Amino acid sequence: MGRLFAIEIIYRGIFQKTLARNISRAIVLAAHKEGKPGISFGRYGDSPERNGIPAKSFAIVATDDVTLEEGMAKYEPKDVDITICVDDTLAKGVESWAWYGLQPVNKLLKPGGTLIVTSRLEADPIIAMCHRKETPYEMAILKAIPSFSGLWVYKDDHTDVRILGAIAKILPDLFSLKSVQAAITDEWHDAVKVTSAARAYEKLTTVTVKPTQGNPEVPFKFDLPKWHEMGEGIVIPSIPAGHKMEDPGTHATGGYKPDRNPTFKKFSTRTMRPVVDFDTCIKCTLCWLQCPDSCFDVTPEGLYDANMEACCGCGVCEAVCPVPNCVTMVNESSFHDNASQWVAWRKDKTNYKGWVQEKIKGHGERSHGFRYLGQYEEQVPEMLDIATKG
Amino acid sequence: MATVVKHDPTQALDPFKSVKKLPLEEYFTSGHRTCQGCESALLMKLMAKAAGPRTIVLGSTGCMYVANTTYYSTSWVVPWMHTQLGSSGSAALGTAAALKVLMRKGKMKNEPINVIAFCGDGGGADMGISGISATLTHPDYNCLILMYDNESYANTDIQLSGSTPWGANTTFSTPGKVKRIMHHRWKKNMAGMMAAGHPECKYVSTISMSYGLHAMNSMRKALAIGGPTFVHSLDPCPKGWDYDPYLSHEIGELAVNTGVWPLYEIENGVLRLTGRTQQIAAGKIRRQPVRDYLTKQGRFAHFTADDTDYFQSKIDEMWTKWLYPGVIPFRKEIEADSAPAE
Repeated sequence: MGRLFAIEIIYRGIFQKTLARNISRAIVLAAHKEGKPGISFGRYGDSPERNGIPAKSFAIVATDDVTLEEGMAKYEPKDVDITICVDDTLAKGVESWAWYGLQPVNKLLKPGGTLIVTSRLEADPIIAMCHRKETPYEMAILKAIPSFSGLWVYKDDHTDVRILGAIAKILPDLFSLKSVQAAITDEWHDAVKVTSAARAYEKLTTVTVKPTQGNPEVPFKFDLPKWHEMGEGIVIPSIPAGHKMEDPGTHATGGYKPDRNPTFKKFSTRTMRPVVDFDTCIKCTLCWLQCPDSCFDVTPEGLYDANMEACCGCGVCEAVCPVPNCVTMVNESSFHDNASQWVAWRKDKTNYKGWVQEKIKGHGERSHGFRYLGQYEEQVPEMLDIATKG
Repeated sequence: MATVVKHDPTQALDPFKSVKKLPLEEYFTSGHRTCQGCESALLMKLMAKAAGPRTIVLGSTGCMYVANTTYYSTSWVVPWMHTQLGSSGSAALGTAAALKVLMRKGKMKNEPINVIAFCGDGGGADMGISGISATLTHPDYNCLILMYDNESYANTDIQLSGSTPWGANTTFSTPGKVKRIMHHRWKKNMAGMMAAGHPECKYVSTISMSYGLHAMNSMRKALAIGGPTFVHSLDPCPKGWDYDPYLSHEIGELAVNTGVWPLYEIENGVLRLTGRTQQIAAGKIRRQPVRDYLTKQGRFAHFTADDTDYFQSKIDEMWTKWLYPGVIPFRKEIEADSAPAE
């Protein structure tokens, strides 16, 4: 029996669909240059993809056909040599829209395997976001602005080929840099992309993540119903009506908190979250009314508290808010919990004000796809600069 | 001749006075698996809020079925049932008829219950149009058919539908190097068609989620007026229209303000332009150029200046040449049509 190589690409649905496909396809094409057969495929359960919801794509390569067939017989690989995470906020976990609960980003990594993350951050804050793993693994940060585009217009900022260069460095048994460069030339006919892959190969460094490092929390999970608990036909209980909220200080009740789907939480669908300045809120209702995810709880005094069990980070609340800096979308990597902002504000308003200012200051704005014609052309040079410098 | 139509009383659903007077309760809540910034999910939320707790919702296949009731979980608070892709009309009629007969026979409490069947543009304007049409000719049953139009088969990754606008990029109309415009059909005029073709239907309207209060009051009117009614919502779709989800609200406004999506209602046969559309028609505000709408969406990124001009000319035609501007394309004389060269 020969050797089987498995690589998974964890990406944001739709935003990075083309990117993930480009990477996983090119992995197989590069391996093919060395006579290794392989297959690239998206995870069935992620289709049809939704904007932002984590999804996976796999590249399976083997040294011979029989080994490949054995590897392909699985719905998805049980373990992988490399996990590629093309958005750093996915380090918090993967909550697929298929029914898995929240899975740690490093779950499928073999002991000693490598997690490649594209990010502007250093390794430490990303390690802190990843759940702890019993066995040590390597982490490689590919300096990059996480590349988001949409279904029709692709942002060609070389993220795809830079990751291929990084793989050649980490797993030389799979393919050499030379094979990667040959595959890139065949696929894109672009000498600059070939150079970008070589730069990533040269500059890549990894750090070892020990079992004592990372987020110690148990990932969100739930029990699947037993077959005898399922209703006749496909009848499922509806969500109960919601209830009033209680003020943590005065214990006054009022407002409204809807009950929510208990199994799908959107904890890892968002790349940003709204930070609300309750002192400047004019209670216009627009964030609450226009939120497609009903994520705002209405507090007893009529404020709107974005509940992090339901927010998927679309940013509509910020877009409709008429007060400057009252609702600001802040990069998800700046937060370590999903606690209520309103409770924090009720406990200590001065402290909260400082917290809001700090979060807003470094809010790390990011682009979630197409905003206007010509936007990607403006963004690519900055990325190519990073690609050149490594 | 005395009327033979006997529909049961409906719920008294007065218009909401302002956004500050809205009920806080949600009957379609969080935890659905839609995209970030999904305007159709917002439509479901506001529709349920407008209708209230005594409501039955039926959903034909599409995003709002697959995303909201998947893997043994849901975000519906009110009762909901799936129906086949083309059968929103029959499901609405059947449910309304069943309620009527169960109440008449005393098998359930006699009370007005809202029946709403929703369908996407694929399920409604394409596949379900005959069933919807049949339902709108049955005046004795109280039900609302709500079409959420994201201008494609969005659930299955954006194939073009009869509602897809001219030139848009979809899985079935990807622009190539040789041919740029792969979709030459104009959007089906569903609301106008339903109103013109069903004289007994008491209420047809068009809405947009960017004008939430207006939309909710329109749906409340549709539920309270009695008999079968039809409401058509244009829902910007970040996935299929290819834009940053934070723009969802703005793109909905642009659709109305550029005149691409006229808001109107036809109540007991009387046509009334509503909201911003009314202000545009009255000359109080200017129609924005469609360029503002098109250049914010990746599905039109392949458009040349000629394509944009052509799109504008067709919208202008809708406003200036149609006998009922923006509503029904009857004209006084034949117009020349010259699409841009490929």
